[in-house]
Amino acid sequence: MGTVTPGITVAQARQLITDYTYTIDDGAVSQWPTYFTEPCLYRITTRQNHEMIMPLSIMLCDNQAMLYDRVEAIEKANIFEPHYYRHVLSDSKVIDQTDSTLHMETSFICVRTMLDGRVTLFATGRYSDQIVFENGRCLFRSRVVILDSSKVDTLLAIPL
Amino acid sequence: MRTLPPPLSITWPQEGVRRIPFAVYSDPDVFEHEQQAIFRGPIWHFLGLEVQIPDPGCYVLAQVGETPVIVVRGDDGEVSAMVNRCSHKGTPLAFVPSGKVSRFMCIYHNWCFDLKGNMTAAAFERGVRGKGGMASTFKKPEHGLQVLRVHRLHGLIFGTFSEQTPSFEEYVGADLIANIARVCGRPLRLLGQYSQAIPSNWKLYIENVKDPYHASILHAFNGVMKQDRLTMEGGIVMGNNGWSHISYSKMNFETGGDVYQNAEMRSAELDIYGFGLRDTSMTAIWDDFGDSVSMTIQTIFPNFVLQQLRNCLAFRTIVPVGTHESELRWIAFGYADDDEAKTNGRLKQANMMGPAGLIAMEDGMIGGLVQRGIAGSLDKAAVVEMGGHGIEPIPGSRVSEGSVRGFWTGYRALMGL
Repeated sequence: MGTVTPGITVAQARQLITDYTYTIDDGAVSQWPTYFTEPCLYRITTRQNHEMIMPLSIMLCDNQAMLYDRVEAIEKANIFEPHYYRHVLSDSKVIDQTDSTLHMETSFICVRTMLDGRVTLFATGRYSDQIVFENGRCLFRSRVVILDSSKVDTLLAIPL
Repeated sequence: MRTLPPPLSITWPQEGVRRIPFAVYSDPDVFEHEQQAIFRGPIWHFLGLEVQIPDPGCYVLAQVGETPVIVVRGDDGEVSAMVNRCSHKGTPLAFVPSGKVSRFMCIYHNWCFDLKGNMTAAAFERGVRGKGGMASTFKKPEHGLQVLRVHRLHGLIFGTFSEQTPSFEEYVGADLIANIARVCGRPLRLLGQYSQAIPSNWKLYIENVKDPYHASILHAFNGVMKQDRLTMEGGIVMGNNGWSHISYSKMNFETGGDVYQNAEMRSAELDIYGFGLRDTSMTAIWDDFGDSVSMTIQTIFPNFVLQQLRNCLAFRTIVPVGTHESELRWIAFGYADDDEAKTNGRLKQANMMGPAGLIAMEDGMIGGLVQRGIAGSLDKAAVVEMGGHGIEPIPGSRVSEGSVRGFWTGYRALMGL
Protein backbone atom coordinates (compact mmCIF):
# COMPACT_ATOMS: atom_id res chain seq x y z
CA MET A 1 0.00 0.00 0.00
CA GLY A 2 0.96 3.62 -0.24
CA THR A 3 2.34 3.37 -3.76
CA VAL A 4 2.28 6.88 -5.17
CA THR A 5 1.69 8.00 -8.72
CA PRO A 6 1.63 11.73 -9.31
CA GLY A 7 -1.80 12.81 -8.24
CA ILE A 8 -3.15 9.40 -7.17
CA THR A 9 -2.47 7.20 -4.20
CA VAL A 10 -3.78 3.68 -3.86
CA ALA A 11 -5.75 4.91 -0.87
CA GLN A 12 -7.49 7.56 -3.01
CA ALA A 13 -8.25 5.01 -5.72
CA ARG A 14 -9.57 2.65 -3.13
CA GLN A 15 -11.81 5.38 -1.76
CA LEU A 16 -13.29 5.83 -5.25
CA ILE A 17 -14.01 2.11 -5.46
CA THR A 18 -15.64 2.17 -2.02
CA ASP A 19 -17.76 5.23 -2.76
CA TYR A 20 -18.94 3.69 -6.03
CA THR A 21 -19.93 0.49 -4.27
CA TYR A 22 -21.99 2.27 -1.61
CA THR A 23 -23.66 4.42 -4.25
CA ILE A 24 -24.83 1.33 -6.14
CA ASP A 25 -25.78 -0.62 -3.02
CA ASP A 26 -27.69 2.36 -1.63
CA GLY A 27 -29.77 2.34 -4.80
CA ALA A 28 -28.59 5.78 -5.97
CA VAL A 29 -28.25 4.72 -9.60
CA SER A 30 -28.67 8.28 -10.82
CA GLN A 31 -25.26 9.08 -9.29
CA TRP A 32 -23.58 6.24 -11.20
CA PRO A 33 -22.36 8.31 -14.20
CA THR A 34 -20.57 10.79 -11.92
CA TYR A 35 -17.90 8.19 -11.20
CA PHE A 36 -16.66 8.14 -14.80
CA THR A 37 -14.58 10.37 -17.07
CA GLU A 38 -15.73 11.55 -20.49
CA PRO A 39 -15.16 9.55 -22.62
CA CYS A 40 -15.08 6.42 -20.50
CA LEU A 41 -15.63 2.69 -20.66
CA TYR A 42 -17.98 0.66 -18.51
CA ARG A 43 -18.71 -2.88 -19.53
CA ILE A 44 -19.84 -6.13 -18.00
CA THR A 45 -18.46 -9.26 -19.58
CA THR A 46 -17.86 -12.86 -18.60
CA ARG A 47 -14.65 -14.66 -17.85
CA GLN A 48 -15.37 -16.97 -20.79
CA ASN A 49 -15.72 -14.13 -23.31
CA HIS A 50 -12.77 -12.31 -21.75
CA GLU A 51 -10.48 -15.32 -22.05
CA MET A 52 -11.67 -16.17 -25.56
CA ILE A 53 -11.08 -12.51 -26.53
CA MET A 54 -14.71 -12.15 -27.55
CA PRO A 55 -15.80 -8.49 -27.50
CA LEU A 56 -19.45 -8.99 -26.55
CA SER A 57 -20.61 -7.18 -23.41
CA ILE A 58 -23.66 -7.78 -21.24
CA MET A 59 -23.71 -4.01 -20.67
CA LEU A 60 -21.58 -1.45 -22.52
CA CYS A 61 -21.26 2.32 -22.18
CA ASP A 62 -18.38 4.32 -23.62
CA ASN A 63 -19.41 7.87 -22.87
CA GLN A 64 -21.38 9.90 -20.35
CA ALA A 65 -24.44 10.07 -22.61
CA MET A 66 -24.68 6.28 -22.70
CA LEU A 67 -24.35 6.10 -18.91
CA TYR A 68 -27.19 8.58 -18.47
CA ASP A 69 -29.30 6.78 -21.08
CA ARG A 70 -28.91 3.59 -19.09
CA VAL A 71 -29.90 5.36 -15.84
CA GLU A 72 -32.96 6.86 -17.50
CA ALA A 73 -33.99 3.49 -18.95
CA ILE A 74 -33.65 1.85 -15.53
CA GLU A 75 -35.59 4.58 -13.79
CA LYS A 76 -38.33 5.25 -16.35
CA ALA A 77 -38.66 2.58 -19.03
CA ASN A 78 -37.51 -0.85 -17.91
CA ILE A 79 -39.81 -2.90 -15.70
CA PHE A 80 -38.43 -5.25 -13.09
CA GLU A 81 -39.07 -6.30 -9.54
CA PRO A 82 -37.43 -3.83 -7.17
CA HIS A 83 -34.25 -5.20 -5.61
CA TYR A 84 -31.03 -4.20 -3.92
CA TYR A 85 -27.44 -5.29 -4.27
CA ARG A 86 -24.91 -5.78 -1.50
CA HIS A 87 -21.33 -5.93 -2.73
CA VAL A 88 -18.48 -7.29 -0.66
CA LEU A 89 -15.05 -6.39 -2.04
CA SER A 90 -11.61 -7.88 -1.60
CA ASP A 91 -8.46 -5.88 -1.17
CA SER A 92 -7.31 -4.35 -4.44
CA LYS A 93 -4.29 -5.43 -6.40
CA VAL A 94 -2.23 -2.87 -8.32
CA ILE A 95 -1.70 -4.29 -11.79
CA ASP A 96 0.09 -1.36 -13.36
CA GLN A 97 0.69 2.32 -12.88
CA THR A 98 1.75 5.13 -15.14
CA ASP A 99 2.18 8.83 -14.48
CA SER A 100 -1.53 9.40 -14.86
CA THR A 101 -3.32 6.08 -14.44
CA LEU A 102 -3.61 3.44 -11.80
CA HIS A 103 -4.72 0.01 -13.02
CA MET A 104 -6.22 -1.99 -10.16
CA GLU A 105 -8.21 -5.15 -9.83
CA THR A 106 -10.69 -5.94 -7.05
CA SER A 107 -12.70 -9.11 -6.50
CA PHE A 108 -16.33 -8.89 -5.49
CA ILE A 109 -19.33 -10.90 -4.56
CA CYS A 110 -22.77 -9.39 -4.97
CA VAL A 111 -25.85 -10.58 -3.09
CA ARG A 112 -29.25 -9.55 -4.40
CA THR A 113 -32.27 -9.02 -2.13
CA MET A 114 -35.78 -8.80 -3.55
CA LEU A 115 -38.52 -6.89 -1.73
CA ASP A 116 -40.33 -10.15 -0.87
CA GLY A 117 -37.27 -11.28 1.06
CA ARG A 118 -35.62 -13.62 -1.42
CA VAL A 119 -31.83 -13.37 -1.03
CA THR A 120 -29.52 -14.90 -3.63
CA LEU A 121 -25.84 -14.90 -4.41
CA PHE A 122 -26.23 -12.94 -7.63
CA ALA A 123 -22.77 -12.48 -9.09
CA THR A 124 -19.09 -12.94 -8.37
CA GLY A 125 -16.15 -11.66 -10.34
CA ARG A 126 -13.59 -8.93 -10.47
CA TYR A 127 -13.37 -5.29 -11.39
CA SER A 128 -10.54 -4.28 -13.68
CA ASP A 129 -10.23 -0.52 -13.25
CA GLN A 130 -8.26 2.28 -14.90
CA ILE A 131 -8.38 5.14 -12.43
CA VAL A 132 -7.28 8.69 -13.20
CA PHE A 133 -7.31 12.06 -11.44
CA GLU A 134 -9.45 14.62 -13.24
CA ASN A 135 -11.23 17.81 -12.20
CA GLY A 136 -9.87 17.50 -8.72
CA ARG A 137 -11.01 13.93 -8.01
CA CYS A 138 -10.37 10.30 -8.85
CA LEU A 139 -12.57 8.86 -11.59
CA PHE A 140 -12.89 5.65 -13.56
CA ARG A 141 -11.60 6.04 -17.06
CA SER A 142 -12.45 2.38 -17.49
CA ARG A 143 -14.29 -0.13 -15.30
CA VAL A 144 -14.60 -3.63 -16.75
CA VAL A 145 -16.68 -6.08 -14.71
CA ILE A 146 -15.56 -9.63 -15.44
CA LEU A 147 -18.15 -12.10 -14.15
CA ASP A 148 -16.84 -15.49 -13.09
CA SER A 149 -19.85 -17.32 -14.50
CA SER A 150 -21.12 -17.05 -18.03
CA LYS A 151 -24.65 -17.63 -16.75
CA VAL A 152 -26.45 -14.61 -15.29
CA ASP A 153 -29.49 -14.97 -13.08
CA THR A 154 -32.55 -13.83 -15.05
CA LEU A 155 -31.97 -10.11 -15.17
CA LEU A 156 -29.19 -7.62 -14.65
CA ALA A 157 -30.89 -4.25 -14.51
CA ILE A 158 -28.75 -2.27 -12.09
CA PRO A 159 -25.07 -1.88 -12.97
CA LEU A 160 -22.62 -3.89 -10.89
CA MET B 1 -42.73 -53.19 -29.54
CA ARG B 2 -42.10 -49.85 -27.96
CA THR B 3 -43.99 -49.32 -24.75
CA LEU B 4 -46.06 -46.17 -24.82
CA PRO B 5 -45.82 -43.90 -21.80
CA PRO B 6 -48.88 -43.55 -19.57
CA PRO B 7 -51.33 -40.95 -20.90
CA LEU B 8 -50.96 -37.46 -19.52
CA SER B 9 -53.55 -36.30 -17.04
CA ILE B 10 -54.17 -33.07 -18.94
CA THR B 11 -57.22 -32.64 -21.14
CA TRP B 12 -56.80 -29.83 -23.63
CA PRO B 13 -59.73 -27.37 -23.54
CA GLN B 14 -62.25 -27.94 -26.31
CA GLU B 15 -61.57 -24.42 -27.70
CA GLY B 16 -58.26 -25.74 -29.06
CA VAL B 17 -55.07 -23.67 -29.32
CA ARG B 18 -56.81 -20.46 -28.26
CA ARG B 19 -56.68 -21.89 -24.75
CA ILE B 20 -53.44 -23.05 -23.11
CA PRO B 21 -53.95 -25.20 -20.01
CA PHE B 22 -51.67 -23.81 -17.29
CA ALA B 23 -50.72 -27.33 -16.25
CA VAL B 24 -48.45 -27.68 -19.32
CA TYR B 25 -46.05 -25.23 -17.65
CA SER B 26 -45.91 -27.01 -14.31
CA ASP B 27 -46.65 -30.72 -14.61
CA PRO B 28 -43.56 -32.95 -14.16
CA ASP B 29 -45.15 -35.68 -16.33
CA VAL B 30 -45.55 -33.17 -19.17
CA PHE B 31 -41.90 -32.18 -18.81
CA GLU B 32 -40.80 -35.82 -19.00
CA HIS B 33 -43.01 -36.54 -21.97
CA GLU B 34 -41.66 -33.49 -23.84
CA GLN B 35 -38.16 -34.91 -23.60
CA GLN B 36 -39.22 -37.95 -25.56
CA ALA B 37 -42.01 -36.65 -27.77
CA ILE B 38 -40.37 -33.35 -28.71
CA PHE B 39 -36.67 -33.16 -27.97
CA ARG B 40 -35.87 -36.77 -28.88
CA GLY B 41 -38.72 -36.73 -31.37
CA PRO B 42 -39.22 -35.50 -34.95
CA ILE B 43 -37.82 -31.98 -34.63
CA TRP B 44 -34.72 -30.19 -35.92
CA HIS B 45 -32.78 -28.76 -32.98
CA PHE B 46 -30.14 -26.04 -33.25
CA LEU B 47 -26.74 -27.45 -32.27
CA GLY B 48 -24.25 -24.69 -33.02
CA LEU B 49 -22.34 -22.93 -35.76
CA GLU B 50 -19.76 -24.08 -38.25
CA VAL B 51 -17.63 -21.07 -37.34
CA GLN B 52 -17.35 -22.52 -33.82
CA ILE B 53 -15.68 -25.65 -35.22
CA PRO B 54 -13.49 -24.41 -38.08
CA ASP B 55 -10.96 -27.29 -38.23
CA PRO B 56 -11.02 -31.09 -38.06
CA GLY B 57 -11.20 -32.15 -34.41
CA CYS B 58 -12.83 -28.91 -33.26
CA TYR B 59 -15.89 -29.61 -31.17
CA VAL B 60 -18.53 -27.68 -29.26
CA LEU B 61 -21.01 -29.02 -26.74
CA ALA B 62 -24.75 -28.62 -27.20
CA GLN B 63 -27.85 -29.73 -25.39
CA VAL B 64 -30.99 -31.18 -26.94
CA GLY B 65 -33.56 -31.07 -24.18
CA GLU B 66 -31.84 -32.86 -21.33
CA THR B 67 -29.52 -34.81 -23.62
CA PRO B 68 -25.91 -33.62 -23.84
CA VAL B 69 -24.54 -33.61 -27.39
CA ILE B 70 -21.09 -33.20 -28.96
CA VAL B 71 -20.87 -31.42 -32.32
CA VAL B 72 -17.55 -32.10 -34.03
CA ARG B 73 -15.83 -31.62 -37.37
CA GLY B 74 -14.29 -34.81 -38.73
CA ASP B 75 -11.02 -35.24 -40.59
CA ASP B 76 -13.03 -35.15 -43.81
CA GLY B 77 -14.46 -31.74 -42.91
CA GLU B 78 -17.95 -33.10 -42.35
CA VAL B 79 -19.88 -32.27 -39.17
CA SER B 80 -21.13 -35.02 -36.87
CA ALA B 81 -23.27 -34.85 -33.77
CA MET B 82 -23.47 -37.55 -31.12
CA VAL B 83 -24.69 -38.00 -27.60
CA ASN B 84 -21.98 -36.99 -25.13
CA ARG B 85 -22.20 -40.32 -23.31
CA CYS B 86 -19.67 -43.12 -23.29
CA SER B 87 -21.27 -46.35 -24.47
CA HIS B 88 -19.67 -48.18 -21.53
CA LYS B 89 -20.97 -46.56 -18.34
CA GLY B 90 -22.52 -43.36 -19.59
CA THR B 91 -19.79 -40.90 -18.61
CA PRO B 92 -19.65 -37.66 -20.62
CA LEU B 93 -16.71 -37.84 -23.03
CA ALA B 94 -16.17 -34.10 -23.10
CA PHE B 95 -16.90 -31.65 -20.31
CA VAL B 96 -15.05 -28.55 -21.49
CA PRO B 97 -17.59 -26.54 -23.56
CA SER B 98 -15.40 -26.37 -26.68
CA GLY B 99 -12.00 -27.59 -27.77
CA LYS B 100 -9.96 -29.52 -30.30
CA VAL B 101 -9.26 -33.25 -30.08
CA SER B 102 -8.03 -36.07 -32.27
CA ARG B 103 -10.51 -38.53 -30.73
CA PHE B 104 -12.79 -38.80 -27.71
CA MET B 105 -11.37 -40.83 -24.85
CA CYS B 106 -13.42 -41.59 -21.75
CA ILE B 107 -11.65 -40.66 -18.52
CA TYR B 108 -13.29 -43.55 -16.67
CA HIS B 109 -11.99 -46.67 -18.51
CA ASN B 110 -10.24 -45.22 -21.58
CA TRP B 111 -12.86 -46.28 -24.09
CA CYS B 112 -11.99 -44.40 -27.29
CA PHE B 113 -14.13 -43.11 -30.13
CA ASP B 114 -13.20 -41.47 -33.41
CA LEU B 115 -14.65 -38.16 -34.60
CA LYS B 116 -17.58 -39.97 -36.22
CA GLY B 117 -18.45 -41.75 -32.97
CA ASN B 118 -17.08 -45.19 -33.92
CA MET B 119 -15.55 -47.11 -31.05
CA THR B 120 -11.83 -47.68 -31.62
CA ALA B 121 -10.39 -49.05 -28.38
CA ALA B 122 -10.99 -49.93 -24.74
CA ALA B 123 -8.39 -50.25 -21.99
CA PHE B 124 -7.26 -53.85 -21.41
CA GLU B 125 -9.47 -54.99 -24.26
CA ARG B 126 -7.37 -58.16 -24.62
CA GLY B 127 -6.64 -58.45 -20.91
CA VAL B 128 -3.31 -58.19 -19.16
CA ARG B 129 -0.50 -60.59 -20.15
CA GLY B 130 -2.99 -62.75 -21.99
CA LYS B 131 -5.41 -63.01 -19.09
CA GLY B 132 -8.88 -61.49 -18.90
CA GLY B 133 -10.12 -59.01 -21.43
CA MET B 134 -13.52 -58.30 -22.90
CA ALA B 135 -15.94 -61.16 -23.43
CA SER B 136 -15.90 -62.81 -26.85
CA THR B 137 -19.41 -61.46 -27.38
CA PHE B 138 -18.12 -57.88 -27.25
CA LYS B 139 -17.96 -56.26 -30.69
CA LYS B 140 -16.65 -52.71 -30.91
CA PRO B 141 -18.72 -51.79 -33.99
CA GLU B 142 -21.84 -52.41 -31.91
CA HIS B 143 -20.82 -49.88 -29.28
CA GLY B 144 -20.28 -46.64 -31.12
CA LEU B 145 -21.78 -43.43 -29.81
CA GLN B 146 -25.41 -42.62 -30.49
CA VAL B 147 -25.37 -40.25 -33.46
CA LEU B 148 -27.87 -37.64 -34.55
CA ARG B 149 -28.84 -36.81 -38.12
CA VAL B 150 -27.27 -33.47 -38.99
CA HIS B 151 -28.38 -30.73 -41.36
CA ARG B 152 -26.15 -27.76 -42.16
CA LEU B 153 -27.51 -24.54 -43.59
CA HIS B 154 -25.55 -21.30 -44.09
CA GLY B 155 -23.20 -22.12 -41.23
CA LEU B 156 -25.96 -23.23 -38.84
CA ILE B 157 -25.94 -26.82 -37.62
CA PHE B 158 -29.17 -28.61 -36.74
CA GLY B 159 -29.63 -32.15 -35.50
CA THR B 160 -32.42 -34.63 -34.89
CA PHE B 161 -32.73 -37.94 -33.07
CA SER B 162 -35.67 -39.19 -35.07
CA GLU B 163 -35.74 -41.02 -38.38
CA GLN B 164 -39.27 -39.63 -38.81
CA THR B 165 -38.15 -35.99 -38.95
CA PRO B 166 -38.92 -34.58 -42.39
CA SER B 167 -36.22 -32.82 -44.38
CA PHE B 168 -35.24 -29.45 -42.94
CA GLU B 169 -36.74 -27.70 -45.98
CA GLU B 170 -40.06 -29.41 -45.41
CA TYR B 171 -39.85 -28.82 -41.65
CA VAL B 172 -39.56 -25.03 -41.81
CA GLY B 173 -40.62 -24.03 -45.32
CA ALA B 174 -39.12 -21.86 -48.04
CA ASP B 175 -39.81 -18.45 -46.47
CA LEU B 176 -37.92 -19.30 -43.29
CA ILE B 177 -35.02 -20.77 -45.23
CA ALA B 178 -34.89 -17.55 -47.23
CA ASN B 179 -34.56 -15.51 -44.04
CA ILE B 180 -31.77 -17.75 -42.75
CA ALA B 181 -30.00 -17.16 -46.07
CA ARG B 182 -30.64 -13.43 -45.72
CA VAL B 183 -29.17 -13.13 -42.22
CA CYS B 184 -26.59 -15.93 -42.23
CA GLY B 185 -25.70 -16.31 -45.90
CA ARG B 186 -22.20 -14.87 -45.63
CA PRO B 187 -19.23 -15.70 -43.40
CA LEU B 188 -20.10 -14.99 -39.78
CA ARG B 189 -17.91 -13.60 -37.04
CA LEU B 190 -18.72 -14.63 -33.49
CA LEU B 191 -18.82 -11.71 -31.07
CA GLY B 192 -19.40 -13.71 -27.90
CA GLN B 193 -21.93 -15.63 -25.87
CA TYR B 194 -23.56 -15.84 -22.47
CA SER B 195 -26.63 -17.34 -20.91
CA GLN B 196 -29.43 -16.47 -18.53
CA ALA B 197 -31.03 -18.61 -15.86
CA ILE B 198 -34.75 -18.22 -16.56
CA PRO B 199 -37.09 -18.96 -13.62
CA SER B 200 -39.84 -20.43 -15.74
CA ASN B 201 -40.86 -23.25 -17.99
CA TRP B 202 -39.14 -23.06 -21.41
CA LYS B 203 -42.45 -22.71 -23.23
CA LEU B 204 -43.27 -19.43 -21.47
CA TYR B 205 -40.10 -18.00 -22.97
CA ILE B 206 -40.65 -19.24 -26.51
CA GLU B 207 -44.28 -18.10 -26.40
CA ASN B 208 -43.03 -14.65 -25.44
CA VAL B 209 -40.69 -14.65 -28.45
CA LYS B 210 -43.57 -15.66 -30.72
CA ASP B 211 -45.89 -12.98 -29.40
CA PRO B 212 -45.49 -9.63 -31.19
CA TYR B 213 -48.55 -8.36 -29.30
CA HIS B 214 -46.46 -7.64 -26.19
CA ALA B 215 -43.39 -6.18 -27.85
CA SER B 216 -44.09 -2.48 -27.55
CA ILE B 217 -46.23 -2.81 -24.40
CA LEU B 218 -44.10 -4.77 -21.94
CA HIS B 219 -40.94 -3.28 -23.40
CA ALA B 220 -41.57 0.39 -22.80
CA PHE B 221 -38.09 1.09 -24.10
CA ASN B 222 -39.22 -0.14 -27.51
CA GLY B 223 -42.31 1.96 -27.63
CA VAL B 224 -40.85 5.11 -26.19
CA MET B 225 -37.84 4.96 -28.41
CA LYS B 226 -40.06 4.17 -31.37
CA GLN B 227 -37.87 1.12 -31.92
CA ASP B 228 -40.70 -1.28 -32.56
CA ARG B 229 -44.28 -0.17 -32.46
CA LEU B 230 -47.00 -2.35 -33.85
CA THR B 231 -48.10 0.61 -35.93
CA MET B 232 -44.88 0.25 -37.95
CA GLU B 233 -45.11 -1.57 -41.26
CA GLY B 234 -44.48 -5.24 -40.70
CA GLY B 235 -46.05 -8.64 -40.52
CA ILE B 236 -45.82 -12.27 -39.60
CA VAL B 237 -44.68 -15.06 -41.91
CA MET B 238 -45.56 -18.59 -40.91
CA GLY B 239 -43.40 -21.63 -41.57
CA ASN B 240 -44.80 -24.93 -42.77
CA ASN B 241 -47.74 -26.03 -40.60
CA GLY B 242 -47.42 -22.81 -38.62
CA TRP B 243 -44.99 -24.35 -36.13
CA SER B 244 -42.21 -21.84 -36.86
CA HIS B 245 -42.50 -18.17 -37.77
CA ILE B 246 -40.94 -14.83 -38.62
CA SER B 247 -42.12 -11.51 -37.23
CA TYR B 248 -40.69 -8.49 -39.04
CA SER B 249 -40.96 -4.75 -39.26
CA LYS B 250 -39.56 -2.15 -41.61
CA MET B 251 -37.60 0.99 -40.92
CA ASN B 252 -40.45 3.40 -40.86
CA PHE B 253 -40.47 5.49 -37.76
CA GLU B 254 -44.14 6.18 -37.73
CA THR B 255 -45.04 6.83 -34.11
CA GLY B 256 -48.61 5.60 -34.07
CA GLY B 257 -49.09 8.03 -31.19
CA ASP B 258 -52.88 8.11 -31.05
CA VAL B 259 -53.28 4.35 -30.82
CA TYR B 260 -50.83 4.19 -27.95
CA GLN B 261 -52.23 7.25 -26.14
CA ASN B 262 -55.80 6.06 -26.42
CA ALA B 263 -55.02 2.63 -25.03
CA GLU B 264 -53.47 4.27 -21.95
CA MET B 265 -50.25 2.36 -22.41
CA ARG B 266 -47.32 2.78 -20.12
CA SER B 267 -45.00 3.51 -23.02
CA ALA B 268 -47.23 6.40 -24.06
CA GLU B 269 -47.28 7.81 -20.53
CA LEU B 270 -43.53 7.86 -20.57
CA ASP B 271 -43.57 10.31 -23.46
CA ILE B 272 -44.41 13.05 -20.98
CA TYR B 273 -40.99 12.58 -19.42
CA GLY B 274 -39.43 13.50 -22.72
CA PHE B 275 -37.36 10.34 -22.52
CA GLY B 276 -35.01 10.00 -25.42
CA LEU B 277 -31.55 8.69 -26.00
CA ARG B 278 -28.79 11.21 -25.43
CA ASP B 279 -26.33 8.96 -27.20
CA THR B 280 -26.75 8.21 -30.88
CA SER B 281 -24.77 4.99 -31.06
CA MET B 282 -27.88 2.90 -30.46
CA THR B 283 -29.81 4.66 -33.18
CA ALA B 284 -26.98 5.14 -35.67
CA ILE B 285 -28.05 2.14 -37.67
CA TRP B 286 -27.57 0.91 -41.19
CA ASP B 287 -29.52 -1.30 -43.54
CA ASP B 288 -27.59 -4.58 -43.37
CA PHE B 289 -29.64 -6.36 -46.00
CA GLY B 290 -30.72 -3.57 -48.34
CA ASP B 291 -34.41 -4.34 -47.83
CA SER B 292 -35.37 -1.75 -45.19
CA VAL B 293 -36.40 -4.55 -42.83
CA SER B 294 -35.09 -3.39 -39.48
CA MET B 295 -36.32 -6.23 -37.30
CA THR B 296 -36.79 -9.94 -37.85
CA ILE B 297 -37.43 -12.44 -35.11
CA GLN B 298 -37.51 -15.96 -36.50
CA THR B 299 -38.28 -19.09 -34.52
CA ILE B 300 -37.73 -22.68 -35.50
CA PHE B 301 -39.88 -25.09 -33.55
CA PRO B 302 -39.44 -25.87 -30.74
CA ASN B 303 -36.88 -23.59 -29.12
CA PHE B 304 -34.57 -21.75 -31.53
CA VAL B 305 -34.56 -18.03 -32.28
CA LEU B 306 -32.69 -16.09 -34.96
CA GLN B 307 -32.68 -12.42 -34.04
CA GLN B 308 -32.08 -9.32 -36.15
CA LEU B 309 -32.80 -6.26 -34.02
CA ARG B 310 -31.59 -3.52 -36.32
CA ASN B 311 -27.88 -4.46 -36.55
CA CYS B 312 -27.85 -6.58 -33.39
CA LEU B 313 -27.70 -10.19 -34.56
CA ALA B 314 -27.96 -13.23 -32.32
CA PHE B 315 -28.97 -16.84 -31.99
CA ARG B 316 -30.93 -17.90 -28.93
CA THR B 317 -31.81 -21.34 -27.65
CA ILE B 318 -34.05 -21.93 -24.65
CA VAL B 319 -32.90 -25.11 -22.93
CA PRO B 320 -35.40 -26.83 -20.62
CA VAL B 321 -33.89 -27.60 -17.19
CA GLY B 322 -36.99 -28.38 -15.13
CA THR B 323 -40.69 -27.53 -15.06
CA HIS B 324 -39.88 -24.13 -13.53
CA GLU B 325 -36.35 -23.56 -14.79
CA SER B 326 -34.63 -23.08 -18.13
CA GLU B 327 -31.41 -21.71 -19.53
CA LEU B 328 -31.47 -19.13 -22.30
CA ARG B 329 -28.27 -19.28 -24.35
CA TRP B 330 -27.25 -16.32 -26.51
CA ILE B 331 -24.64 -16.19 -29.28
CA ALA B 332 -24.01 -12.73 -30.77
CA PHE B 333 -22.52 -12.42 -34.22
CA GLY B 334 -21.60 -10.10 -37.05
CA TYR B 335 -19.93 -10.75 -40.37
CA ALA B 336 -16.33 -11.62 -41.17
CA ASP B 337 -16.11 -8.58 -43.46
CA ASP B 338 -17.51 -6.09 -40.94
CA ASP B 339 -15.23 -3.10 -40.53
CA GLU B 340 -14.43 -1.74 -37.07
CA ALA B 341 -17.29 0.75 -37.16
CA LYS B 342 -19.85 -1.96 -37.90
CA THR B 343 -18.47 -4.28 -35.24
CA ASN B 344 -18.59 -1.48 -32.68
CA GLY B 345 -22.10 -0.61 -33.77
CA ARG B 346 -23.26 -4.18 -33.26
CA LEU B 347 -21.53 -4.36 -29.87
CA LYS B 348 -23.26 -1.17 -28.72
CA GLN B 349 -26.63 -2.29 -30.04
CA ALA B 350 -26.07 -5.49 -28.03
CA ASN B 351 -27.18 -3.33 -25.07
CA MET B 352 -30.68 -4.21 -26.30
CA MET B 353 -30.25 -7.97 -25.72
CA GLY B 354 -29.45 -10.35 -22.89
CA PRO B 355 -30.01 -10.15 -19.12
CA ALA B 356 -29.26 -6.40 -19.10
CA GLY B 357 -30.98 -5.81 -22.43
CA LEU B 358 -32.78 -2.49 -22.65
CA ILE B 359 -35.41 -4.35 -24.65
CA ALA B 360 -34.84 -7.97 -23.63
CA MET B 361 -34.58 -7.72 -19.86
CA GLU B 362 -38.32 -8.00 -19.29
CA ASP B 363 -38.52 -11.15 -21.42
CA GLY B 364 -36.35 -13.09 -18.98
CA MET B 365 -38.53 -12.08 -16.08
CA ILE B 366 -42.06 -12.22 -17.43
CA GLY B 367 -42.24 -16.02 -17.61
CA GLY B 368 -41.25 -16.28 -13.96
CA LEU B 369 -44.02 -13.86 -13.03
CA VAL B 370 -46.55 -15.87 -15.05
CA GLN B 371 -45.36 -19.02 -13.35
CA ARG B 372 -46.04 -17.40 -9.96
CA GLY B 373 -49.44 -16.15 -11.07
CA ILE B 374 -50.68 -19.52 -12.30
CA ALA B 375 -49.63 -21.45 -9.19
CA GLY B 376 -52.74 -22.95 -7.67
CA SER B 377 -54.71 -22.52 -10.90
CA LEU B 378 -53.48 -25.48 -12.92
CA ASP B 379 -57.05 -26.41 -13.83
CA LYS B 380 -57.41 -23.03 -15.59
CA ALA B 381 -56.15 -21.93 -19.01
CA ALA B 382 -54.62 -18.92 -20.77
CA VAL B 383 -56.74 -17.08 -23.35
CA VAL B 384 -55.01 -16.57 -26.68
CA GLU B 385 -57.48 -14.94 -29.07
CA MET B 386 -55.76 -11.82 -30.40
CA GLY B 387 -56.07 -12.00 -34.18
CA GLY B 388 -58.74 -14.70 -34.10
CA HIS B 389 -58.65 -18.42 -33.49
CA GLY B 390 -56.43 -19.60 -36.29
CA ILE B 391 -52.78 -19.50 -37.15
CA GLU B 392 -53.05 -17.72 -40.48
CA PRO B 393 -51.19 -14.41 -40.45
CA ILE B 394 -53.15 -11.19 -40.91
CA PRO B 395 -51.58 -9.49 -43.93
CA GLY B 396 -49.53 -6.47 -42.90
CA SER B 397 -50.32 -6.82 -39.20
CA ARG B 398 -48.46 -8.07 -36.18
CA VAL B 399 -51.25 -7.48 -33.70
CA SER B 400 -51.90 -11.18 -33.50
CA GLU B 401 -51.15 -14.22 -31.39
CA GLY B 402 -51.44 -16.46 -34.44
CA SER B 403 -47.80 -17.49 -34.20
CA VAL B 404 -48.31 -18.45 -30.54
CA ARG B 405 -51.24 -20.63 -31.61
CA GLY B 406 -48.96 -22.04 -34.32
CA PHE B 407 -46.46 -23.16 -31.68
CA TRP B 408 -49.20 -24.93 -29.73
CA THR B 409 -50.44 -26.58 -32.91
CA GLY B 410 -47.06 -28.23 -33.30
CA TYR B 411 -46.80 -28.96 -29.60
CA ARG B 412 -50.16 -30.72 -29.46
CA ALA B 413 -49.37 -32.75 -32.56
CA LEU B 414 -46.15 -34.11 -31.10
CA MET B 415 -47.36 -34.48 -27.53
CA GLY B 416 -50.66 -36.15 -28.44
CA LEU B 417 -52.52 -33.61 -26.32
